[in-house]
Amino acid sequence: MTEVEETLKRIQSHKGVIGTMVVNAEGIPIRTTLDNSTTVQYAGLLHQLTMKARSTVRDIDPQNDLTFLRIRSKKHEIMVAPDKEYLLIVIQNPCE
Amino acid sequence: MPQSPASSRKQTNLGVNLQPKKSVSNIGHKSQYKGYAGATQSRMFMSGKITIAPDTKAEKMNISAPRTHTQVIDARGIDVTPRPLYRPDPNTAAVKPNKILSSQEESLTSELKSSLSLYQNTLNPSILGQFTRSALGSSTVSKSSLSTTESIPEDLEEPCYRRERMPSFTDVQVMRATHGISVTKEDLQKTIEIILTETEMMIFFDLPTVMVSVDSEEAVKVTQRNKNYETLCRNRLGNDLYVERMMQTINGAPKNKEVQCDRIIKEEKGIMSTIWDMYDSYNAVESLSLPIKQSKIDTSTKATVTSDRDQRLPGSTTEKNSEGSSLIDIENVILAKVHDDEEDHSEMILKSDKFQQDLFFMERVLMENIFQPKLAAYRQLPVFKEPQPGDHSEASEHEKPEDTEKEPKKEDEEEINAGRSTIPANLERLWSFSCDLTKGLNDLLAVGYGHFGFKEQKKGLACCWSLKNPMWPERIYHNPYGVTALDFSIGAPNLLAVGHHNGNIAIYNVQSNSTVPVLDISESSQKHLGPIWQLQWIEQDRGTTGDDKREILVSISADGRISKWVIRKGLDCHDLMRLKRTTTSGIRKGGEKEKKGEALISRQAPGMCFAFHPKDTNIYLAGTEEGLIHKCSCSYNEQYLDTYRGHKGPVYKIVWNPFCHDIFLSCSADWGVILWQQENLKPFFSFYPTTYVVYDIAWSPKSSYIFAAANESRIEIWDLHVSTLDPLIVNVANPGIKFTTVLFAKQSDCLLAGDSDGQVVVYELRNMPTVSDSGRGDVIDTLLGSKSNQG
Repeated sequence: MTEVEETLKRIQSHKGVIGTMVVNAEGIPIRTTLDNSTTVQYAGLLHQLTMKARSTVRDIDPQNDLTFLRIRSKKHEIMVAPDKEYLLIVIQNPCE
Repeated sequence: MPQSPASSRKQTNLGVNLQPKKSVSNIGHKSQYKGYAGATQSRMFMSGKITIAPDTKAEKMNISAPRTHTQVIDARGIDVTPRPLYRPDPNTAAVKPNKILSSQEESLTSELKSSLSLYQNTLNPSILGQFTRSALGSSTVSKSSLSTTESIPEDLEEPCYRRERMPSFTDVQVMRATHGISVTKEDLQKTIEIILTETEMMIFFDLPTVMVSVDSEEAVKVTQRNKNYETLCRNRLGNDLYVERMMQTINGAPKNKEVQCDRIIKEEKGIMSTIWDMYDSYNAVESLSLPIKQSKIDTSTKATVTSDRDQRLPGSTTEKNSEGSSLIDIENVILAKVHDDEEDHSEMILKSDKFQQDLFFMERVLMENIFQPKLAAYRQLPVFKEPQPGDHSEASEHEKPEDTEKEPKKEDEEEINAGRSTIPANLERLWSFSCDLTKGLNDLLAVGYGHFGFKEQKKGLACCWSLKNPMWPERIYHNPYGVTALDFSIGAPNLLAVGHHNGNIAIYNVQSNSTVPVLDISESSQKHLGPIWQLQWIEQDRGTTGDDKREILVSISADGRISKWVIRKGLDCHDLMRLKRTTTSGIRKGGEKEKKGEALISRQAPGMCFAFHPKDTNIYLAGTEEGLIHKCSCSYNEQYLDTYRGHKGPVYKIVWNPFCHDIFLSCSADWGVILWQQENLKPFFSFYPTTYVVYDIAWSPKSSYIFAAANESRIEIWDLHVSTLDPLIVNVANPGIKFTTVLFAKQSDCLLAGDSDGQVVVYELRNMPTVSDSGRGDVIDTLLGSKSNQG
């Protein structure tokens, strides 16, 4: 458990990381470094997008599955590690 | 339908005499509505319930009571008051209440009179069929405005007629609105028996078929009849028997019937069907058969699975018995529990292995983002420039030992680019270094950390770094003693041998996450007593014993022994050589007795480094603290083959040229780097660029002319092809930091340098002067040539 905490802390302290969130399947944040409303917003939107992405991947090949999702935008990059029970979301500004 | 005029007289006047109501104005159809309400009410009575519809009013009309007249005026102002159908006979007696009614409603029947019995009479279910029929049939007797109202009373009248209760039929009784009938508590708690019985079958529609099966008994008759009819039709035309004639039929007036029903509740149900969804369903069905027991347990606890769970696993309509991971089922169980179990559940997420793995990947991805340009440079990929003005060029910021002194010469050169690897704060100074670029894309770097100064020894560390995460090592092995030597095994690249300051050698398996060494020599009786300065895995031909290409670990330590370790059960040691102190066999004057050496505490000379010949693994060179380099063979463990004298201080490193096997380099604490030729016992070339101790040297794997040297204050890259007097590139360290080790990366143009601050910095070599193929002969000729020129 402590290793997990340590890793989370390290991730948060990396260069350019704006926020880290762990959200469960219902959209309730378990661990987050951003404020609640932002977290909930991200969780809701990314949940839908992850579902869609997973659906796309599996439609092409049902034995495949989605493991990681990265969205790069002008301002920053959102990285999502989805799972059936949770979403791990990290927002990073890759080039400060 | 027998309808005697007498009966019509006695028809009850149901809906007509009404208490004045608001809805009176639309009475034309309303009355019949009321009548219908009465009908429905009667139906309701039939089912055993007693409801008193408040809007049906059966007026109680006593003979003696004055009649209330209502006037109905329609929209045009015409008086359309329906004339009463029934004029009660004042002489008739009151009707006794129906028995059925009385039994059920005794407490409520104060207002209800026998006219209800009228309604009750229709309780007989068989009547109902007649009811409908009579509704249709009664139109013949009706007057226009009274048609509808007539139908019902006619109906009601009929059963009475049947039962010969006409005399009792005198009153039209109206049910008053139910005022508060006092219901005592006892009444409420009294159990009321409600008997539900099945009604008889009601046939609403019967359309007999007009088709007869060929096999049935009537078939013959029917076919005969059909034939007759056909002949008849054919004969009809000119036949005298058939004459056309007009007929008039009386068409009944159609009647509108309104029906009211409960609102039909519609629900929309959608399902998503995708390829993967079907695949999942099929898989679930298959796997269902296997863990049936488990699914039973799960479904029993899943009784409260809510639909939103179904929604979340999208589109799956099949019962998810064992579909999905067991973790989901557990989760369902937990959800069914109390809310404060939610806490545990979140914790479970954090503890799950998948989460750890995801974190691990996430970190690597972050690193990739941060270090992307530098990693690309490492791999010699074109660097992706961010299309943003805020982007900095590569040679900025991160690089700590910044300043590069460029050669202002014809070689336009190299900027050294620095990648960066930082380490956690608990580490101290760098000692040794080993790099293993395994076959896969996994670049793994093992770095050993220990205290720099010889006096104090603190705890040491051996870390394995991966290129994908330059900010946190993949493996960390703690040691109570400083790490002084490291090497990866060639045959089994997951084995890492670590040598310590106390003479201990430990072998770790980097594949597993455990931090316990696989093998250790601390128990061995032959362990080294001094710090191990170098470790190397050698593949050696063991032709004599029959095994071939066995890998052995060779170590040299300050106690003067070069030992080889074989992994059998544990580490077996075998001394290859004991380094003895030798006297300087310099100029001896004749006759002078050879000094056997002063009183030495130990006759062993501490060994600092060794290097096996790249081609012939039986021959190796060993450097000592005295400054001598001995050429030894594995076959002899007492004597040296040769001794090279040239250095005046401890020889820290010896390296053979990877291309030209006669040349080797050595560096020592006497500030110098010496290039030797194997057959020549005298130095070939010496380089004394600075007045600092040279800690490490390495040949470049790409070119036979280039080597790198790390001395205290700077890293130098020499190119012998270009110049033998000056280094090609010099990279000066920050003040206070000494470079302790240097290593060339095998697969890319990069140089790794470790410093006394505990950092390993990766430099990219760019624009290195390309050499034509570095054949063996070239180097020697060039060097020899120049040497011979120098004389």
